[in-house]
Amino acid sequence: MDKIKYCNELLSRLETLAYHELSGMIHWKCEFVGVDFIRAKKIEGDNVDEIVQSCTKAMAEEGLVSDIKHKVGPDGVMLKLTVKDCVHQPKEAMTQAAGIGPYLCPIANMVLDQIHEQLNYTTSYLTKLGIDHDNKRCLVYMALYETGDKVGQVSDWLADDEDKEFLKSQFSQILAAEDRKK
Amino acid sequence: MKEFLDVLTSRKSIRRYKTDPIPDEMLDKILEAARWAPTGENYQPWRFIVVRDQETRNKIADLSRQGSGSRMTAWYCLGELQQRFEGIEDPEKRASVLEFMYSGRVSEFCKNAPVVIAVIGDLQVGSVDVPYDLCAAIENMTLQAHSMGLGSCWVHGPVASTRDAIRFKKILGIPTGMGDYKVISFLAVGIPLEQRKHPRPKLPLEDLVYWERFGNKERI
Repeated sequence: MDKIKYCNELLSRLETLAYHELSGMIHWKCEFVGVDFIRAKKIEGDNVDEIVQSCTKAMAEEGLVSDIKHKVGPDGVMLKLTVKDCVHQPKEAMTQAAGIGPYLCPIANMVLDQIHEQLNYTTSYLTKLGIDHDNKRCLVYMALYETGDKVGQVSDWLADDEDKEFLKSQFSQILAAEDRKK
Repeated sequence: MKEFLDVLTSRKSIRRYKTDPIPDEMLDKILEAARWAPTGENYQPWRFIVVRDQETRNKIADLSRQGSGSRMTAWYCLGELQQRFEGIEDPEKRASVLEFMYSGRVSEFCKNAPVVIAVIGDLQVGSVDVPYDLCAAIENMTLQAHSMGLGSCWVHGPVASTRDAIRFKKILGIPTGMGDYKVISFLAVGIPLEQRKHPRPKLPLEDLVYWERFGNKERI
């Protein structure tokens, strides 16, 4: 039995059912999915870079991903993950086949959870998931707010982003498909 | 007495309030209206926490600001919030609206509302309709408030994310177990300070109504 396939089928069914019930609001409700795994590991770090690296090591050792590259924005608000060979990527294709954009990323949830748990950040937000099936990678864009006054600190995250064009083909939480192409 | 449809069509969300307190008899009528909302199998899972304390309202307002602002800051940084508001042609007005949104100030108005009513649902009473029942109760409250000349705004922002919902529960001493209580929203209530233009554009009925079968726009 392919246990990963079985697990992804369950997750995708739950995702489609939850989206059907709550519409886009479900994006905001899933942040604890995946955290049990990472809380059982010994994650250590004094800053975002070290937390991401420690999480990546724990996830790669257990085979959840092969690698995660990350980039923190100059103001410390943006965190971009490029996740390679995630075991959950096949579920995204299943969910997308139902016409629903990706919204639940256990990998991102784990990283954000540890930033909250270890660094005591005020809040955070998973804002964009780009799924590159051809290259077996996922692009994850998150906002990190170390303190409340970081909320509202804006910049252009995509100014020098090599994936800017690719993202235009990806689901948005607030824009309809036609608007994303503009 | 106004026609009921006049009450419905003249109601709008009010986010600016006078500092005057809400008399108890008016508040009681708002809560009474909630009590009579439709509820599956008469389970009545709703519970209401009436908050007048300024310090508590400040905490809820701060959570609201961070909740809305955290999302809108991220959408702005990806360029998506700007696209949503590209219909505003005046660049200065557009920039001002966007800043109001991504700063989160759009949602922190409850600190200036004399009353905030948190609406929660008891998940242990056996009802299978808790979220729907709660929404019906909130709608009743907004209409009752409006019919008495009060303004209100139904706000989901501070409890939108699961982490924030837990924070909200802690502020008000609500049990935080996922099987205990569902926090769906709060309702800010006060005497309106603003006279917002109304109505905002609404889709015409012919765009919304089908007859007998999905997609059939011809009245039979």
